[in-house]
Order: sequence, then structure tokens, then C-alpha cells
Amino acid sequence: FYWHCVQQHARFIERFGLKELLRAKLTECGWRDQLKAHCKDVIKEKGLEHVTVEDLVVEITPKGRVLVPDSVKKELLQRIRAFLAQHAT
Amino acid sequence: MKMEDMSLSGLDNTKLEALAQDIYSDLVEDACLGLCFEVHRAVKQGYFFLDDTDQESMKDFEIVDQPGVDIFGQVYNQWKNKECVCPNCNRSIAASRFAPHLEKCLGMGRNSSRIANRRIASSNNMNNKSESDQEDNDDVNDNDWSYGSEKKAKKRKSDKNPNSPRRSKSVKHKNGEYNVTS
Repeated sequence: FYWHCVQQHARFIERFGLKELLRAKLTECGWRDQLKAHCKDVIKEKGLEHVTVEDLVVEITPKGRVLVPDSVKKELLQRIRAFLAQHAT
Repeated sequence: MKMEDMSLSGLDNTKLEALAQDIYSDLVEDACLGLCFEVHRAVKQGYFFLDDTDQESMKDFEIVDQPGVDIFGQVYNQWKNKECVCPNCNRSIAASRFAPHLEKCLGMGRNSSRIANRRIASSNNMNNKSESDQEDNDDVNDNDWSYGSEKKAKKRKSDKNPNSPRRSKSVKHKNGEYNVTS
């Protein structure tokens, strides 16, 4: 039942604009540019011709998770909790 | 499936918090993946490093804002009076007359067969067809290409194309000397 909830909630997240909100915040705070710079390193290392999506995902995602500013994380969690509270019967 | 149908009250606070964290993780992961895909595409399409162009080269790409010239700096009336060399007859033709000329020259298009047939007819009688005569014929039929000649164009449309498969055996044609050969 728990995972069922997670799945259901994932579908409603878009309707409530959480995805867009997060992306906007991350761009605003420079997270995107930071990661892009890191991408450049990966590309130079692997070579422009040969770099794959996998290469980028493996190198970038862990860093991306860590680099999210605390304020952004806080705000997003708040919104999510509010969202869940709204729909708890 | 409405949100209200799902009862979250069954979940205690710790579970709700864990749920919230999971949702948050999902969102961050989604943002990361999105970035990876964007970057990868930019790399493969060749525009990823565009921002790194040095200032000097960037000046080459500034938008041009001068009269008589488009935003790339090209003169846009340039081709009006250029001359083209016809690949078929190797004559130099003005650009604005080039399309109709090609039509006649290559023997394609609406009017070209009529002219060709007329020429065949007249050259049967006279063997010294001069260049200037060809010019005349060309010019006369160039009327189709300008606006003021709709009357003539309409007249021509009523003429049947003698070479079309639709023609009947008895073809009415203005030139009495015309011989039907297919």
C-alpha cells in the first residue's frame, strides 16, 4: 500500500507543479550551471564523440543530489508535506 | 482515481515523512536526469560549447542593423539583375527571365511545346531561322509570367496541347501547316 501511494503521488506531482517548481529553483540558485560545468569535465574526459547518456548520468546524478541547496530542499519538503496533508482523509 | 479515494490517515507520521522524502528524491533525480539528457543532446547536436566562443569571434555573429541589408549583413536585392548561364544552351540570361527561358529551352512546362511545334512548322518552310526570331517567340509567351496579360493567358488555355494524351484525333490548330507526329 505504501509504494502504491508513492506511485499515485508521483502522477499528481505534475499537476501540482512540483517538478517545475524544483527546476526553477535549481536554475535560480545556480545548481544547473554548477552541474553543467561538471558535465564539461566529464565530456572532456570521455571525449566529445564518445560520451554517452550513461556516462553523464553516472557522474552527474550523485553530485546533483548533494549540491541541492538546503533552502531549496527545505522548501520543497514543506510543499510536499502540505500536499500530502491536504489529501489525507 | 481521485486523491480523496486514498486514505492516508492509515499511515502514521513516520511513514508520511518517509513518503515525503521519497517524493523529494524522485523530484531531484528527475531534475538530474533531465539535465543529463539536455546536455547529451547539446553535445551530440554540436551546440554545447557555443557559450565558450571568445568575444572576438562573437562579434562576427552580431545582428546587423543597417538599411538595405538583412540581419546577416547580406544585400537582399542582389539577385534581381544577376545573369545566369543556361546549362542547356549556354546563353547568359537575366535572372528574372531565367525560369521562362529554361521552360522553353528544356522543352518542359506549359507553353514550351507550342512554341517548339510552331518553330518546327516555320522551319519547315524557312531554313534560315535567326536568333532574333527565337527571342520574339520567347518574349511573346513571357506574358504568362507578368500580371497584365490575363486575357492572353486565358486564350491560350483554351488551346489544346497537341502532345497531351487527351487529344482527340481531329485537332484544331491555328497553324494550318502543322503536321501531327507523335
